[in-house]
Amino acid sequence: MYIEKVKIKNFKCFEGWFEVYFNQSVNIIVGNNEAGKSTLLEAIHLCLTGILNGKYLRNDLSSYLFNREVERAYLDSIAAKEPLDPPEIQIELFFGGDDDALEDLRGNGNSEKNDKARGLLFSIEFDKKYDGPYTELLKSNEINSIPLEFYQVQWLEFSRQPAMTRTIPVKSALIDSTSTRVQSGSDMYISRIVREFLDDTERVAISQAHRKLKDAFKADDNVGAINERLAEAAKISRKKVSVSVDMSSHNAWENSLMTYIDDVPFHYIGKGEQCIVKTRLALSSKKNSEAPVLLIEEPENHLSHSKLNQLISDISTGNTGKQVIITTHSSFVANKLGLDHLILLREAKVTRIKDLDASAFFHKLPGYDTLRLVLSQKSILVEGDADELIVQRAYMDANAGKLPIDDEIDVISVGLSFLRFLELATALKIPVVVVTDNDGDVAALKKKYAKYEDVGHIKICYDPVVDKGDLVIGSKPFNYNTLEPKLVKSNNVETFNKLFGKSYDLDDLHRHMKNNKTECALAVFSAATKIDYPQYILDAIAK
Amino acid sequence: MMGPNKLVIAAAGSGKTTYLVRQALAVENSRVLITTYTESNEEEIRRKFFEIHGSVPGNVHIQTWFSLLIEHGIKPFQGKLFDWDVAGMILVSQRSGLRGRDRQGRPMYWGEEDFRRCYFDRRDRVYSDKLSRLVIRCNEASDGAVIERLSHIYPFILVDEVQDLAGHDLDILTALFKSPANVVMVGDPRQVTYVTHLEARLKKYRDGGIADFIREKLPRKVACDIDVTSLVTSHRNSNAICELSSKLYPKLTAATACKCTGCRQPVPVYAGLFIVRRKDLPRYLKTRRPVQLRWSSNVKIASTDLPALTFGRSKGLGFDRVIIYPTKEMMAWLKNTQSALKAETRAKLYVGLTRARHEVAVVYDPADGEVVAGFTIFE
Repeated sequence: MYIEKVKIKNFKCFEGWFEVYFNQSVNIIVGNNEAGKSTLLEAIHLCLTGILNGKYLRNDLSSYLFNREVERAYLDSIAAKEPLDPPEIQIELFFGGDDDALEDLRGNGNSEKNDKARGLLFSIEFDKKYDGPYTELLKSNEINSIPLEFYQVQWLEFSRQPAMTRTIPVKSALIDSTSTRVQSGSDMYISRIVREFLDDTERVAISQAHRKLKDAFKADDNVGAINERLAEAAKISRKKVSVSVDMSSHNAWENSLMTYIDDVPFHYIGKGEQCIVKTRLALSSKKNSEAPVLLIEEPENHLSHSKLNQLISDISTGNTGKQVIITTHSSFVANKLGLDHLILLREAKVTRIKDLDASAFFHKLPGYDTLRLVLSQKSILVEGDADELIVQRAYMDANAGKLPIDDEIDVISVGLSFLRFLELATALKIPVVVVTDNDGDVAALKKKYAKYEDVGHIKICYDPVVDKGDLVIGSKPFNYNTLEPKLVKSNNVETFNKLFGKSYDLDDLHRHMKNNKTECALAVFSAATKIDYPQYILDAIAK
Repeated sequence: MMGPNKLVIAAAGSGKTTYLVRQALAVENSRVLITTYTESNEEEIRRKFFEIHGSVPGNVHIQTWFSLLIEHGIKPFQGKLFDWDVAGMILVSQRSGLRGRDRQGRPMYWGEEDFRRCYFDRRDRVYSDKLSRLVIRCNEASDGAVIERLSHIYPFILVDEVQDLAGHDLDILTALFKSPANVVMVGDPRQVTYVTHLEARLKKYRDGGIADFIREKLPRKVACDIDVTSLVTSHRNSNAICELSSKLYPKLTAATACKCTGCRQPVPVYAGLFIVRRKDLPRYLKTRRPVQLRWSSNVKIASTDLPALTFGRSKGLGFDRVIIYPTKEMMAWLKNTQSALKAETRAKLYVGLTRARHEVAVVYDPADGEVVAGFTIFE
């Protein structure tokens, strides 16, 4: 049993329908801030438990749950006297697997009317019972927020039966290191995870033990004396006053028992350790009838590198048929868990690495750089380290000392793989600028990048002028059409002699810069004085 | 473990419910559904579980036929036919979906083409007489998904009081026989007291014709055994009662009284079949304290202190003594077992007679010298 597909409509950052497929094992969701990663995890957890941010959503409706655009369109339509239907939120989980326990959840009560689908539906929608009052409200023209008082929360199986946490065979364990939700002293997520971990007999045993605790407490002589005194003092009421252990709620033990790690209450241990303990507990559940889904939010946030490593290896090796959905910003995490499992989220749209043409390339060149491109808001691709340093410095000079990364622009040196990266960038619609040498053949360059000429978010920058000269190094003529000679052309020999503390003539300067590319670029990068840049570099850093 | 699909014809008091409960308890690790027509019998089954096993095991689910049809028959796959919420069921005693009357004053009804009005009342409740037809339609519209799903959820399906199923209910049973689920049905064709199916479909099998239906209508490949011998021993009725009641249905295997020492202890002080004259009635009621059985709650009873039930309500229950306030046809039959009886009357008389363990009394003023065979006049 696992989550095969999630569909979300109008929930938070998802405007209209959003759909994503998951595989049975590890799924890594990467994407920028605001891309909807956490919202996706929240939505899954909500649909499996009815709980959002540690509270039952049913009792806690708010218009912030709705997509802002959708809300605005609705309110605008009312202002314009052409009212749209009140917006609705829907979350649907489609389960995969051939377990008969899923058949209970089967039915065509889903947005696709699919007879084969097994799953759950969580909706926040206008309640038709209020058609009359709503009509009155519309007439009064006083709607300036979504009229939630006319809304209902529906939590159903696809078979149109009300969903109950107890009967849902897929259990979610939400592991978010960002905040702890405390319920009567104990973090309710850890309580939940512990409860899911126990089987029925164990649950009965623990609540029995808890009840005995109450009896022992009451039987204690001191407590008896205190209760007598209380009863005495409270004579005003005819009823008896006493103190005892709280047994009032249905799951009393869960609320009043605390989970300890090395005798330290769970929420006092480090966030990172909490995260690891929860993950381990959830992963080691052995029940056959139920399948846990681990929802892990940005594990890199509170974990040291070694702890992170440990968590990642738990997830990638320890799981036996357990589904993990993990969000991350870290290219380390993503790379470790395998790029096949990568789901890219950009502006509430989904791309899977596997589905890309460039995916073969990812297999050949797995690594941080490709992920950096994927995770970046905008990238400048350059050929080598020297180019990277020059572009960085040019950007700083043009932007009052700010590095490109400060504006979420990544400068990535990609060697000769420009085309591969462009393929990926095209598929993911990532804005990319290529800074390249013309190597003396503008026509060839044009041909090479012809495919990207009309792609709006891709810009190819090079010097359109082919420079020529007489210098020969060894037996080969010197290439006047790389970065260094272009820099020299934009400035003069003196500028660089001053920078390097040398007194070369032009040819020696060319030789020196060719043989010491990185050192020279570093000198430019760290110099106190600014130099002038070729136009194509300026084009590349222009916003 | 249970074998293939099976229909067990049971006599009154033969321990039908006990049999079902034991069948269900024999299944481990698989889910079992027990369904029956009436809520009172649903409760009776639960009670039996508590009696035999102390609790209803987690893998056993007991649900009435109507609630089963709404929950599993309609709701999961209604999407292809309609999209409103089913608000439950409305029990009808006449043909539902009345459209109006024509010039001659004859009733006209909504047909399939006016889907919503044909199947639902104004508050979106399904008419009880069309519930199973709607299930069949949902099943067809979803390409058999209704039955497929149900048979996966419940590999074992036990149907109690199967004689109450008729019309499209039988089509649902047929579909279940074809499915991988294992179906065991228990019923007494003599005890058809609730006729809620007014539809013409399979009308021939309406009054206790379940066994004939299985013999005649099942497709050849679909197997269903009919067991007429396992449940013919009455653990309730005395021999005299067994003999008399069996005469109502001569074609069916006659029931015999059991010889279990447990069932037959203690030996009753009073036993037998009695005619009680109206003038003797107060005295009889006072000394024997029977349960009074009648056709409907309009029939006057002699004692308001002693419990009184209609024949229909008394189904499934057992008492030491009963006294029957017979209808004319019933009395005629008691005097001459060849006299004609309507199906419903026959069934109700059978139910009435078989409620008693030891003694059945009939309220009747015989003419001078008149003898009712088998009965003794209470003096």
